[in-house]
Amino acid sequence: MTEKKIPIHQRTFAFLKKRIYGIGRFFKRIWAHPKGKIGLSVVGLLVIVAVFAPWIAPYDPYDVADRTTKGLTPSLQHPLGTTINTGQDVFSMLIYGTRISLIVGVTAGVSIAFVGAILGVMAGYIGGFADNLIMRTVDVLLVIPSLPLVIVLTNVFGRDYWIIIFIFVALGWGGLSRNIRSLVLVIKNSNYVKAAELAGASRWRIMTKHILPGTSHLLIMSTALGSAGIMVAEAGLSFLGLGDPTRISWGRMLADAQGGGALLFGHWWWIIAPGIGIFLAVFSFMRIGIVMEEVLNPRMKQSTGIHKIFRSLSGKHIDEVFESMDEKTGLAATGRSASKA
Amino acid sequence: MKKSYIVKRILYSVFIFFVVLTLNFFIPRIGVDDPAERYYPPQGNMTDAEYEIIKQLTREQYGFDVSTPEQYWNYLTDLFLEGNMGTSFRSGSPAVTSLIIDRLPWTLVLSVSTLLLGLVVGILIGVIAAMKRGRWQDTMLLNASTIMVALPAFFIALVFSFFLGFEAEIFPAYTNPDMVSDFSWSLDSLRMVAYNAALPVISMAFGSIIGYAQGTRNAVIAVTGEDFILTARSKGLKPNTIRYKHTLRNAMLPIVTSLGMSISGLIGGQVVIEQIFNWHGMGTLFLEANNTNDYPLMMGIMLLLSAFTIVAILFTDLVYVLLDPRVTVGERR
Repeated sequence: MTEKKIPIHQRTFAFLKKRIYGIGRFFKRIWAHPKGKIGLSVVGLLVIVAVFAPWIAPYDPYDVADRTTKGLTPSLQHPLGTTINTGQDVFSMLIYGTRISLIVGVTAGVSIAFVGAILGVMAGYIGGFADNLIMRTVDVLLVIPSLPLVIVLTNVFGRDYWIIIFIFVALGWGGLSRNIRSLVLVIKNSNYVKAAELAGASRWRIMTKHILPGTSHLLIMSTALGSAGIMVAEAGLSFLGLGDPTRISWGRMLADAQGGGALLFGHWWWIIAPGIGIFLAVFSFMRIGIVMEEVLNPRMKQSTGIHKIFRSLSGKHIDEVFESMDEKTGLAATGRSASKA
Repeated sequence: MKKSYIVKRILYSVFIFFVVLTLNFFIPRIGVDDPAERYYPPQGNMTDAEYEIIKQLTREQYGFDVSTPEQYWNYLTDLFLEGNMGTSFRSGSPAVTSLIIDRLPWTLVLSVSTLLLGLVVGILIGVIAAMKRGRWQDTMLLNASTIMVALPAFFIALVFSFFLGFEAEIFPAYTNPDMVSDFSWSLDSLRMVAYNAALPVISMAFGSIIGYAQGTRNAVIAVTGEDFILTARSKGLKPNTIRYKHTLRNAMLPIVTSLGMSISGLIGGQVVIEQIFNWHGMGTLFLEANNTNDYPLMMGIMLLLSAFTIVAILFTDLVYVLLDPRVTVGERR
């Protein structure tokens, strides 16, 4: 072994270059997908708005001291008018609301994918007691109504937005890890995993290097769909006045509008604007999730995106994943009996 | 084989219920370990000894005067022997059970009518879309779903309460409190309930209509491709007979089984809808309890909702096993 030692900074650079190049290519493929353009551009727009909110927003939405501009109707100075009770600029609130929605949605979505993948792979591959423990926990999590439980837990632990993210993650990983598990049960029986086992690879190596990549397309789609779901849940929570009290979010704007007399005074734009914000965020994330899966798993039956969303919501999506594996591995029969049984 | 599976499934549901019950007991105890200090802060002219007595009395009243395992035992025995879920922290210390029973029918009115409306309309639309596959009916469902799936129910509810309630004044934007206080089993009363429930039910039903429509459409299309439909057609049966007796019957099965899980989502989402329309149900009761840190009441509601979900899932699972001869009973999931 006379391998030439490459300096660490060069190795890191090469690694980063490869990764960034890979990510760039991935986005290019999403963009090339017929349905990818709209999703990607809306998500890009939302991210830009969220990052540059202070520069885009014409006023400070947290400023409630200016009492002269209460309840204005839309005009050039205030594109969406001002709030009736406090005189905040609705357009600026809308722009700042993007931040909390994206932060909570994406962070919780990614963390859920992370936790769900680890626990799902462990349950599927190790089996036995670990499998039992994890799956029984999932059963309990799926039985308790989530929104009321989230409300109870925020009452106990506090309402900072990072605590809310943590609670969403702690309660949200169940469905995903169940899907991952049934996929792992199939992959476990494939020849390359058997070969790795015979070659003496450690459990950890098999789980991370051989099994986890096989679930990546499901994982990535679930991340995007999960983020969208979390955004709706967060909006609902702040709409009830139980979100982070120090931040402006779309849900809280809706609550302000309802409580602040938008209904009575006929200020419909104050209600519609945050709703469109929520809609755009949820819609684009769902779109991107579907496209990502079709890009990553070309064997997957190309179906209309919306049907895919509904099948994944009702847990039937996993069957299609098995069908897509049919041609290559011939393992689908095992998989289907493992998932349905 | 089937019988033992059914028994196993029931026992497992009981086990899950006990886990939920235990969680229910311990979660409030993270938040409040001594209701006395939390709800009766010392008054100005009170000596320490007097305050101790008051605290002691409060603890006894809420059952906090014994050790935690004993409290757990008391909680279990109270619940199963007397159906008593504890005492609310509200003034007058009413029993949680009676508070919930007061609200339960009002919540069920909303959930059941939403479920029925969603099922009937959803299945109808789904069947139409499946039969006109690829034509404008199908495309319209597709486009409607694309938009509706990204719109949260509470936003739809707000828009309805604004445009149909405040602007057009077709339906009440807020529930009339007389609906509850003057309720009697007369036609007028029932009509009033229907009038007030219209907006909440419609706004909640949108999501389930679209969901069931998509589910039905996909199930019908999947069944149409099965061999027994081909057999039926080659036997020369009338298209309508095949459609209703063979296709639809078999396509209904997955819809029935998806009911169990959707009930859980329905119950959770209803909290927000009840809040918007100020509906006199468990959702608003839950939020009132949350605002006053009334843990016994909150956990009582949670327990009841979880129990509903457990029973619903158990029921749909059993129905599935009993109805579908193809199901091989073994390890689930």
